[in-house]
Amino acid sequence: MDFREILVILVKRWILIFLAIELVFFAIFGTNYLSLRNLQNILLTSTVVLLLATGQTFVIITGGIDLSVGFMVGFSGVICAKVMVTLQAAGISQSVAISSGIAAALLLGLLPGLINGLLVARLRVPPFIATFGMYGIAYGFAEIISNNVPIHNLPTLVSSIGHGYLIYWLPEKAFTFFKIPQNLTRLELQNLVPIVPNVTIIAFIFIAIFAFILTKTRFGQHTYAIGGSVDAAERSGINVKRHLIKVYMISSFFASLAGVCYVLMFITGRAPAGSARLLDAVVAVVIGGASLYGGTGSIGGTIIGVLIIGVLEIGLVNLGVPTYNLYIAVGCILILAVLIDQFLPKLVHGKD
Amino acid sequence: MRTTDNPSAMHKKRDRKTLSHVARNWALLFLICMLILFSILGKNFFGLRNFSNIVLAATTLLLLATGETFVIISGGIDLSIGFVMGFVCVVSAIVMRDLHAAGLPQVISIMAGCSVGMLLGLIPGLINGILIAKLRVPPFIATLGMWGIANGLAWRFSEGFPIAFLPPRVRDIGMAYIAYFSPKTGLSFFSRPVLTERADIWNLMKIIPLPVLVIAILLVIFAFVLAKTKFGQHTYAIGGSVDAAERAGINVSRHLIRTYMISAFFASCAGALLVFKINMGVHTQYTSSYELFAIAAVVIGGASLMGGKGNIWGTIIGVLLIGTLNNGLMLMGLPIFYRYIAVGCILIVAVLIDQFFPELVYKE
Repeated sequence: MDFREILVILVKRWILIFLAIELVFFAIFGTNYLSLRNLQNILLTSTVVLLLATGQTFVIITGGIDLSVGFMVGFSGVICAKVMVTLQAAGISQSVAISSGIAAALLLGLLPGLINGLLVARLRVPPFIATFGMYGIAYGFAEIISNNVPIHNLPTLVSSIGHGYLIYWLPEKAFTFFKIPQNLTRLELQNLVPIVPNVTIIAFIFIAIFAFILTKTRFGQHTYAIGGSVDAAERSGINVKRHLIKVYMISSFFASLAGVCYVLMFITGRAPAGSARLLDAVVAVVIGGASLYGGTGSIGGTIIGVLIIGVLEIGLVNLGVPTYNLYIAVGCILILAVLIDQFLPKLVHGKD
Repeated sequence: MRTTDNPSAMHKKRDRKTLSHVARNWALLFLICMLILFSILGKNFFGLRNFSNIVLAATTLLLLATGETFVIISGGIDLSIGFVMGFVCVVSAIVMRDLHAAGLPQVISIMAGCSVGMLLGLIPGLINGILIAKLRVPPFIATLGMWGIANGLAWRFSEGFPIAFLPPRVRDIGMAYIAYFSPKTGLSFFSRPVLTERADIWNLMKIIPLPVLVIAILLVIFAFVLAKTKFGQHTYAIGGSVDAAERAGINVSRHLIRTYMISAFFASCAGALLVFKINMGVHTQYTSSYELFAIAAVVIGGASLMGGKGNIWGTIIGVLLIGTLNNGLMLMGLPIFYRYIAVGCILIVAVLIDQFFPELVYKE
């Protein structure tokens, strides 16, 4: 193996290496950075971006972009919270209220995606414009539904789901699923190790399903084909219009799911909830190796892209560095990512 | 000949021509309809005071959208302008505050603040241009990166708080009008007449805010550059086809760098103006989405994101449309977020009209 081959491997995996360097850096300079609690914190903080970015990956692979997802988080979050609060006030049991809130949010959340898809595929509106229009519309409706104030007083069960973990483990004493073990002393409660947040599980179940769809099914292959060349895809018999509509619906589904997760985690429904996260999601997808011209990208890359941002975010907090440095750093990483793709195309996309 | 002799065919042709005019100027027509509608529905909408408010409120967006017009005509996009504006606003305010606190005369500290801010504001444009033109980074990505960097820097300098304690003249300049007319003192230019009676102060007519004059001059210059000079023609040529432009001997990468610097220049002007308007230096917020509204205004004004189309006049109409909508909805007592829905719908309609009447809109 000569130097060139090593270089090829390094460049192909540069985002992974970058992530590793970040982790090592913060492990050395941070406090308790690699502790289980902190690593789970990173996952929790990244959940919303992770979901948005997964949906965005599909859209970007087809060569489009979905700007509406930012406010879709607020839109579905507000619907979810509103339904829960209303049903609870009507005296319906908590679990029914919560599940119908989530169902309503996910169902209504498909609507903006459908409209985006129709506009982009049938009426040939450029994706940037169609989804930006929807961005405004979704935000406006979210504010109207929430009456311009965050929705509080959700059922108490929401917090135990959103702040809950899959496994609670007290070394050598207790091991329970979903519920904190009963009859613990204060000291034992402090030593209790919660493993894997519920929200992360929800997110990863859906991400796994859609990663499978993208890589292993015909639907996924068609997505790449459309991104490569719409003409070629059409000539080879793919129903491009129907496919694009589905892709935009996937994106808005993930955005709605992110909204539901937001409600579960923060126990509130706010209209501007995810707006700050919109561009983070696009950035993560691009860092993950997708091209805005379509045809390339993968869920694995996107997850690493999200983690690069998440690790940095929590790391800066851990070091006590003000958060604004995050924006500067993410901006630089984004440009760097594209430059690496630009100048080492043979190395990155060439054969092994 | 036979078809033109046929009266019904002639009629049809005339209809087509009328329709073509309507489709071409639909944004202007829509603006006029909206003005009429709000004048009927809204209280205090129709009047010099309110129209001058609309224009004054729209100045920020107008500057951002004008710069964006150049970039969009060249086939690119500039997402960084909103935060470049915030960055310049913060930096200018800090320089003004510190020089003023150091005891320098107000005029010098204000001028120094503006020039430092606007010079630094050109740097993001230069970097954007180099990344896009020389290093071939897609405009969306390069300017999105700059979006983050400018946001972070603005936040860093302001530390998240508004910058106050500016020289008092800043407020005076920001509130100044070109002319004042009072039945008692008559017409006076630039300086507010001294009035003691409350009724007189209320009846004082203020004509054209000073910032609007400055912006009007800037717009005229750049509209001229875009429409009448070689630079403008080259911008359209590059937007039409980069290859063709290159083969025709245009130095495309130098031209693109200049285009992105124009965009950053306008964002910097907007930032400096913001200091005078609100008498503070503030770091802009996400939810205000200045860059997206600027792009919306440009597209409503008839530009295409594919490049090669658009003009300053259309952009001005686009901005006024959004501004009138904001103002009208506000006066009707509707909460501000309705404007998001309205702008979203108009934007989509704008593109649909372009899509379905292409021969009407672009050909005679």
